[in-house]
Amino acid sequence: MRRRITALAVGLVALSGQARAAEVMLVTAASSRIPSLNADEASQLYLGRRTTLEDGTQVTLYDLPGGSTRDRLYALLTGKNPSQIRAYWSRQVFTGRALPPREASSPADLPTLLSNDPSAIGYLPDGPLDPRLRVLLKLP
Amino acid sequence: MKWAIMPALALSSLTATAGGTDMLNLSGFATAGVVRTYEADVRYTRVGIDRPGRERPDSGPDSIIGIQGSLRISDANSAVVQIISRENTDGNYQPRATLAFLSHQFTPELTGRVGRLRIPFFMQSDSLNINYAHPWVRPPEEVYGLNPFSDLDGVDFLYRTRAGETDIELHPFVGTSRIPLYPDTNARLKRVAGVNLTLTRGDFSVRFGHAEADLSIHWRDPLFKALAPVLLSPGLDRRDIVAQMAGDSGKVRFSSAGFQWDNGDWLLVGEYARRQSQRYANSAHAWQFTAGYHFGPVTPYLVFARHAQKSPVVSDDQIASLPPFPELDPLRGGLAVFNASRNLAQRSITAGVRWDVLDNTALKAEFARSRTADDAWGTFDPANDRAAGRMGNRSINTLSLSVDVTF
Repeated sequence: MRRRITALAVGLVALSGQARAAEVMLVTAASSRIPSLNADEASQLYLGRRTTLEDGTQVTLYDLPGGSTRDRLYALLTGKNPSQIRAYWSRQVFTGRALPPREASSPADLPTLLSNDPSAIGYLPDGPLDPRLRVLLKLP
Repeated sequence: MKWAIMPALALSSLTATAGGTDMLNLSGFATAGVVRTYEADVRYTRVGIDRPGRERPDSGPDSIIGIQGSLRISDANSAVVQIISRENTDGNYQPRATLAFLSHQFTPELTGRVGRLRIPFFMQSDSLNINYAHPWVRPPEEVYGLNPFSDLDGVDFLYRTRAGETDIELHPFVGTSRIPLYPDTNARLKRVAGVNLTLTRGDFSVRFGHAEADLSIHWRDPLFKALAPVLLSPGLDRRDIVAQMAGDSGKVRFSSAGFQWDNGDWLLVGEYARRQSQRYANSAHAWQFTAGYHFGPVTPYLVFARHAQKSPVVSDDQIASLPPFPELDPLRGGLAVFNASRNLAQRSITAGVRWDVLDNTALKAEFARSRTADDAWGTFDPANDRAAGRMGNRSINTLSLSVDVTF
């Protein structure tokens, strides 16, 4: 797995000519009131341990449907693999501790969903960005 | 139960007005499982959960389906209702509410919940039904049999904060609980008060918990119904022994300490728990240690577990204080069986494997070899009266297979 990612990363670097390519970017609406986000805050949010930013702003989280981008987001942010994350979230949800992130039906729906909610955060594979969105954090 | 329906109704009417899928989150979990013991005269049973089955294999101990509706009422308020159906101690599958609460977030770090919650005595108690969340077919019965109670009707607070890299969760709770233990026998906890502390750092988490409650149990099983009239007969008049067996003035304490470590390769889980009870139930302690290794989606594991009794329901001194007439030998024998039938003491080694075969689907198989203590039935039930006399000091093999899904 790690070797494949390295190969992928090397491929991306070669293609883009950049020093380092991100895999996943956390995004919000261009007009969002969320100023910034660090990896620690993002991991707390996507583990359901918090529902607000450190300044108290309530955040609405979006997940992508199951797939490689979602798996990579959780791996990079929390260090947990897909089955660990599913077991972790099933425990959070079914013990009534946390509500899961809302799920966008596809990456293409995310710009509309996020631009309608100034406190919403989602993630996308690194790449060209819809003008309605703004990047909060690039991983890794 | 009746008041648990009210949040359910509130939820369904709110769903109707909300109209969107945005506010309401519907999800569920299920396990289809079978257990087989390799001894014809004993049955595997989970105290307070299922009715010991005649079926071989028995689908009662582990099979379950649960549906949950989680409703975001506002940024700070939400409601959760969870309904499950599983074989109960009456032997039917009548659905019941396992969660029905309103939750309010006071600050980003403090949430309060009121209604029906899960009783969080031990590390996995509040997710006991959510087999998908565990590596095992079921959390080890040696430890989890110490607390058959599942519901907490009351209030709790979740205070979650962070100190450096460590996540801290402080979880105080108060309330009441009741549970059917055998057909017609109800056990109740009143004035439950407890607190848990969980510290999580990276892949490692450690948890401590303590709770105390008032305990009532009124046994209605054939053994108690046979013994009580004899003990209360005018010639004997041992109401002190009957008062030790059943009534409304028990006190019980649960304490536990546990840890979990899962770095994506290795999985280690350990827990020690104890129950101190003055009356109606025995005092006992238990531990379990689980080690597993993730080979991709396949996780084989080994579990070592032991449950030991500290003091029986009816004390040896009380039994010894009965007049030494040979005619009372059957009574002494009956009291010994009463104690043994309420004693889960055993040790076991379990080899199992979890295979995450699809997203949200896990297949599990477990083979356990258990040895009951001298004076205990362990986690088993005799299939007939003859077997009841020879439950102690037996080695019993058990095979469990299950499929867990979440949706």
